[in-house]
Amino acid sequence: MASGSERVVVVGVDDSTHSYHALETALDLFFTPFKSNPQFKLVVLHARLPATSVLGFAGPGTVDIIPLVEQDLDKTADLVKKKCTDVCSAKSVEITSLEVVEGDPRNIMLEAAERHHASVLVLGSHGYGAVKRVFLGSVSDYLAHHAHCSVMIVKKPKAKHASNDKH
Amino acid sequence: MAEDQAAAVKETSAVEKQPETTGAEAPTVTITKRMMVAIDESDSSFYALQWVIDHFSNLLMTTEAAEAEGGLLTVVHVQSPSHHFAAFPAGPGGATAVYASSSMIESVKKAQQEASAALLSRALQMCRAKQIRTETLVLEGEAKDMICQAVEQMHVDLLVVGSRGLGKIKRAFIGSVSDYCAHHANCPILIVKPPKEITT
Repeated sequence: MASGSERVVVVGVDDSTHSYHALETALDLFFTPFKSNPQFKLVVLHARLPATSVLGFAGPGTVDIIPLVEQDLDKTADLVKKKCTDVCSAKSVEITSLEVVEGDPRNIMLEAAERHHASVLVLGSHGYGAVKRVFLGSVSDYLAHHAHCSVMIVKKPKAKHASNDKH
Repeated sequence: MAEDQAAAVKETSAVEKQPETTGAEAPTVTITKRMMVAIDESDSSFYALQWVIDHFSNLLMTTEAAEAEGGLLTVVHVQSPSHHFAAFPAGPGGATAVYASSSMIESVKKAQQEASAALLSRALQMCRAKQIRTETLVLEGEAKDMICQAVEQMHVDLLVVGSRGLGKIKRAFIGSVSDYCAHHANCPILIVKPPKEITT
């Protein structure tokens, strides 16, 4: 029973519907079918943007706004943590590690994938700053190119058609 | 004119389906998880296939427990359209074109088909070794377009591609087909990177 060879799935979440959908897809593919003999460990990672990147430019009065932005970002982070915990316990999946790291999402994901020796990194296709015309968000695109481990990109949840329509 | 030909080839794509099941189970499983792996002659795509076999065997095997999950693996290979071989520019500057005789086209087509069959049989062997429920598919046309079309038409739940195919441009991090599919496929896509030891 060598559980030391368990493989790690890292799921990156922000507060978008895409990432919760990505988390659920990851659970369905890597965790729920293996109930009897778990083969993967789940790491959920939320990249918390620094307040300065959210504000963009510095102008007079920015200094006063920063604490409010920080507070809002913290609240979002807590909300994301709670939602992920709920999604995972609804599918009876144990989260090995639920992390919130501040900084640029691209670097954070890359570094986390290295640190955990991830087998696969799972992301939604759009997250921060979802621009509707773009086929693939910039963070997902960057990680698809630069991650050393396999990358799974989950597209937006589409309306479920009859899955047995095999024509 | 070339566009018309390309469109015609796309519409008459040669599709061969050979459902393969090991064991004597009747094929009445409802497919709830259809995975598609795109292969070409590159090592990267076969590594992707092996990755799927290793990581998703619980979903895809022909055992009873896996059948309950309803997984099916579709291995797809896209042949480049054979009309590309119809004319060969010859002479200085390519001014004159030599048109291939029909027998030449036939032999090129035959060679292509043999190559595809060899690839798919290699893939099937890998799958059979682990009792994976598999079917194979050959399409003809532009790889990136045919793969995305197949994903739509067959309601694929997960598309798996290697990171690099035949266009080995060293500076590109992932190949053009994989990149296109990551942007345009309508389903989740898994890009399998080569193991770290092989960093050519």
